[in-house]
Amino acid sequence: MEYLHTDWMQMTLNDWLGVAYTVLGLLAMIVVYVMVLHPKNKEAYNSQSDMALRDDDEHNNLGDKQ
Amino acid sequence: MEATQATPVKYDMDVVRWFTIMAVVYLVVGTLVGVYIASELAWPFLNFDIPEITFGRLRPLHTNAVIFAFGGCTLMATGYYMVQRTGATKLWSNGLAWFTFWGWNLIIVLAVITLPLGITQSKEYAELEWPIDIMITIVWVAFGLNHIMTTAIRKTSHIYVSNWFTMGMIIMISYLHLVNSMAIPVSLTQSFSIFSGVQDAMIQWWWGHNAVGFYLTAGFLGIMYYFVPKQAGRPVFSYRLSVLHFWTLSFGYVWLGAHHLQYTALPDWTGSLGAAISLAMIIPSWGGAMNGMMTLSGAWDKLRTDYVLRFLVVSLAFYAMSTFEGPVMSIKTVNALSHYTDWTVGHVHSGALGWVAMVSMGAIYHMVMKLWNTKMYSDNLVNVHFWLATIGAVVYVVAMWVSGIMQGLMWRDYDEYGTLTYTFVESVSAMHPYYAMRAIGGMIYNLGAWIMLFNVVMTVRQATAARSVNTATANA
Repeated sequence: MEYLHTDWMQMTLNDWLGVAYTVLGLLAMIVVYVMVLHPKNKEAYNSQSDMALRDDDEHNNLGDKQ
Repeated sequence: MEATQATPVKYDMDVVRWFTIMAVVYLVVGTLVGVYIASELAWPFLNFDIPEITFGRLRPLHTNAVIFAFGGCTLMATGYYMVQRTGATKLWSNGLAWFTFWGWNLIIVLAVITLPLGITQSKEYAELEWPIDIMITIVWVAFGLNHIMTTAIRKTSHIYVSNWFTMGMIIMISYLHLVNSMAIPVSLTQSFSIFSGVQDAMIQWWWGHNAVGFYLTAGFLGIMYYFVPKQAGRPVFSYRLSVLHFWTLSFGYVWLGAHHLQYTALPDWTGSLGAAISLAMIIPSWGGAMNGMMTLSGAWDKLRTDYVLRFLVVSLAFYAMSTFEGPVMSIKTVNALSHYTDWTVGHVHSGALGWVAMVSMGAIYHMVMKLWNTKMYSDNLVNVHFWLATIGAVVYVVAMWVSGIMQGLMWRDYDEYGTLTYTFVESVSAMHPYYAMRAIGGMIYNLGAWIMLFNVVMTVRQATAARSVNTATANA
């Protein structure tokens, strides 16, 4: 427990900003994971799995040397 | 549902072509300097008592050449290529893209001049002095602005995952570079970091490891997620996993830097946290590597004949290996043996030679054929290059593993009286065969790079000649 002891009175503004940034980062991470892993979004994501392959077929490649 | 193109898009590919060619040139130059400095360590007479070509001066030139010249040109070539093709739109600003090309190459020229002269900030992977740092910021932000705005004007509804990786890299590297490079200039060629002591070390490795995490990993994962499916002709095995891979990397990587500072003045918990998150990062890294490899499901037979695909698949094997090795080395007990030894050099090069360079070479070969609308001048030379790169990387990495572990064991060996068994010089002497082996591994790898340059130049010449004939025939 000594290892985890924190003297809260010694926390500086920088320390509190760091804590706030970390907690917000954690919450954002949870939101993103829920969004990505939610079963209802699975099909929407996986429907894009061939997107890289579509560019040759659907989009004319006139920028390439002819 | 994707919007389809009613009218053909004319992409801005000339700037991509030039970035691609310069990437190959810098691959040759960067690995050649690496071979020379590796040879200096094995055969020190190669210093020739000329300060400008000593290891200390040329080593940062080598790292800057391979990371920022070769890696940077590859990232900009593929970044501009992928964002146009997956967004079905030309670049937001072709002029700005050309500005990034000339600006980036000017920075590289300045690095070639200043680093051998000993003009350096002495911050690892951020050696260039403050005026060049400002130039890097301007050019990098221009690249970022152009990429993000091109994404914004895309004709497709979805932003492909490769572009997420590229944009994540651009944003994070801008932030990291700005903070790490904060310095007080005292002259045009000298400045002092605004950080000091352990804070300086922490900022240095916050930058250093995230240069690995975002520049050398996220950026090149963007390449992997576009070029592996393209070359294999197969959709990504799990697109959802690729999205998860991106976010996990983005949230996790920024915590790892402290693992470079185990057993230093940095608070103990900071290094432990860095190591713990490093271990957690094995999960997304291996998930991503498996996702890339499983993309070949149903197309494994292509590896027999498609030499470009071999580069991409072997790069994934090295990616998986080095993203397991790194976290293991960050554990304090392992770090006590591995840190400050050649094991770290071996680890870095398994990632650099095996992952970053191999995936880049695969992408560059793919792009050269597309950009010049031709086949490679010689497929056999691509195959020869593949084997030279693979064998060279393995020889290099194995030499450094053996050398590093031997160093670590010799340095901490005590006799029955509690005194060190070996002097430092004895450990240096014991390294000699492995330093020679490392130089040979590098030579093999560099030879492959020369072959790639020859093959690419001949391919471009062949395509140009064929177009001239077609034009003449059409005019006749």
